[in-house]
Amino acid sequence: MSSTTVESTPSPRGADAGPQRSGDGTSSGPGPSFPRVLNSEFIKFRTLLSTLILLGSTIVVMVGFGALSAWGTGQFSEAAARDPQAAARIAAQGGDLAVGVPTSGIAFAQLILGSLGVLLMSSEFTTGMARSTFAAVPKRIPAFAAKLVVVVLTSFVVTAASTLAAGFVSVPILDNYGLGLDLGSSQSVKMLIVNSIYVAAVAAIGLALGTLIRNSAGGIMSLVGLFFVAPIAFQLIPGDFFVEARKYLPGNTVDPLTALDHVPDTLEAWQAGLVLGAWVVVPVLLAGVMLKRRDV
Amino acid sequence: MIEARGLTKVYGDKTAVAGVNFTVEAGRVTGFLGPNGAGKSTTMRMIMGLDRPTSGSVTVNGSPLTKHAAPLRDVGALLDAKAVHTSRSAYNHLLAMAATHSIPKKRVHDVIEMTGLAEVARKKVGGFSLGMGQRLGIAAALLGDPQTVILDEPVNGLDPEGVVWVRNLVKYLASEGRTVFLSSHLMSEMAVTADHLIVIGRGRIIADAPIQEIITGKGQGRTRVRTDQPDRLMQLLAGTGVSVEVQERELLEVKGLDPRQIATAALEHQVMIYELTPLQASLEEAYMELTKDEVEYHSLITTGADPVEAGGK
Repeated sequence: MSSTTVESTPSPRGADAGPQRSGDGTSSGPGPSFPRVLNSEFIKFRTLLSTLILLGSTIVVMVGFGALSAWGTGQFSEAAARDPQAAARIAAQGGDLAVGVPTSGIAFAQLILGSLGVLLMSSEFTTGMARSTFAAVPKRIPAFAAKLVVVVLTSFVVTAASTLAAGFVSVPILDNYGLGLDLGSSQSVKMLIVNSIYVAAVAAIGLALGTLIRNSAGGIMSLVGLFFVAPIAFQLIPGDFFVEARKYLPGNTVDPLTALDHVPDTLEAWQAGLVLGAWVVVPVLLAGVMLKRRDV
Repeated sequence: MIEARGLTKVYGDKTAVAGVNFTVEAGRVTGFLGPNGAGKSTTMRMIMGLDRPTSGSVTVNGSPLTKHAAPLRDVGALLDAKAVHTSRSAYNHLLAMAATHSIPKKRVHDVIEMTGLAEVARKKVGGFSLGMGQRLGIAAALLGDPQTVILDEPVNGLDPEGVVWVRNLVKYLASEGRTVFLSSHLMSEMAVTADHLIVIGRGRIIADAPIQEIITGKGQGRTRVRTDQPDRLMQLLAGTGVSVEVQERELLEVKGLDPRQIATAALEHQVMIYELTPLQASLEEAYMELTKDEVEYHSLITTGADPVEAGGK
């Protein structure tokens, strides 16, 4: 009905098809309530190929590392069986080598999903999409909160699902070496949940960084700095302060949270929980305030 | 209706918008004209609540956009043709925008159809030409069927067919009683599109009047007269405030008298005239006159604007 390129006159039919307008010039009709903004952000999230690729990569990396780790652990335990010293070392570590296998790819999952958090907001600014987003939601905070919900939920679910998948792949491999891994054991479940929460937290920190820095490369570099560079740097810098400070880095909260028993010279589980919480809450609040205040 | 009161925006030590007051009325096309860097886009971003005014305020239908219950249904804006994630398709972009206000899918299809994007709606926006980007921006602006439509440089990058389409569209929207606010640095486009003109230069409003008034407002109405007795007619017309210029052998250009006065004088003294054409300063001339002190970036090469006859369409 229309030509291939242009309809040369505006179509009254189209213009009239919209919702009713009251006489005083302000429209009646649904506005940007939080569920609607959340729906919009989910549409935005799933209609980008890059997002789906990052989610897919997370699953691949988690399952791949799980399998690799299962094989490596099996080799190690065989060697240990012939070496009493190695066996003693394993015993000192609590004895159960296999329980950490499904989450062995977590360092990479956090990097990928943390970057996804950064990109979710920084891409709004680098592409100019932010002007459309915040013209539709001028209060801004609902859009930020919706993105937070989207990235936190997705990161949790994807991490949990890929940990489970890595577990299923690892069990038969470990079985070959006579190592048992019970995915239903309380420690396995705890590992899965804590690590999934942790990765969701990293994604939230990423979103906050992307909102504050508004630049994809800068945001991802900050994330890498916080989770990969700082722990190493703090270890290398001499002085008691950095030894102590290192415990409070967000990346060092997982081990205390999943430990069977408190390991000396690390945080207590509840302390680690609070530290991780603070690492999420402070940047997220700061990002929200700055997003509200700054020009788009 | 858009109302700006003492609207000011300062970036560092640069004042982009310096305390402007203006009102954009419903039911007509209001042009927002100014040289590059004059503060047009900044003003529009402040209307949309994207930039926070340093002082003063701007309201749409009586309240700032941040206070509107359904902003997309009240105000639609094209601020930048590429205010879209480049990796998303046009359809999905509009769908996500629509979802914030529960605008039905049918409306998304309608605006795609209206703006001629049906062929490319499923393609990534990153591959769009500037003209296609503009069409998508206009589609997004119309999505909520808003009472107020703000378009920043909408004809940028459009082909001639698209330019005519935008022109008809904004006139149509205004005829429906909507508020239409349209910026451009193209004076010729404004001359044929806008009913009312707000001229901005270096962040200050330098004119705010019906377009006809701006064109003729300088009191420089001129009349072209052809007669076979030019010398006789010159004598007859001579007087204070009147200047007559001989352009060709039988062609005079008269300033300071209207065509009726010229015809009356000629009739009384039996001088035959065979052309009597009122000339108006073109919008270009009026604009150059208004903004000559306000241009942010003076170009080294002065561009000469050719005078255009009034009603010369």
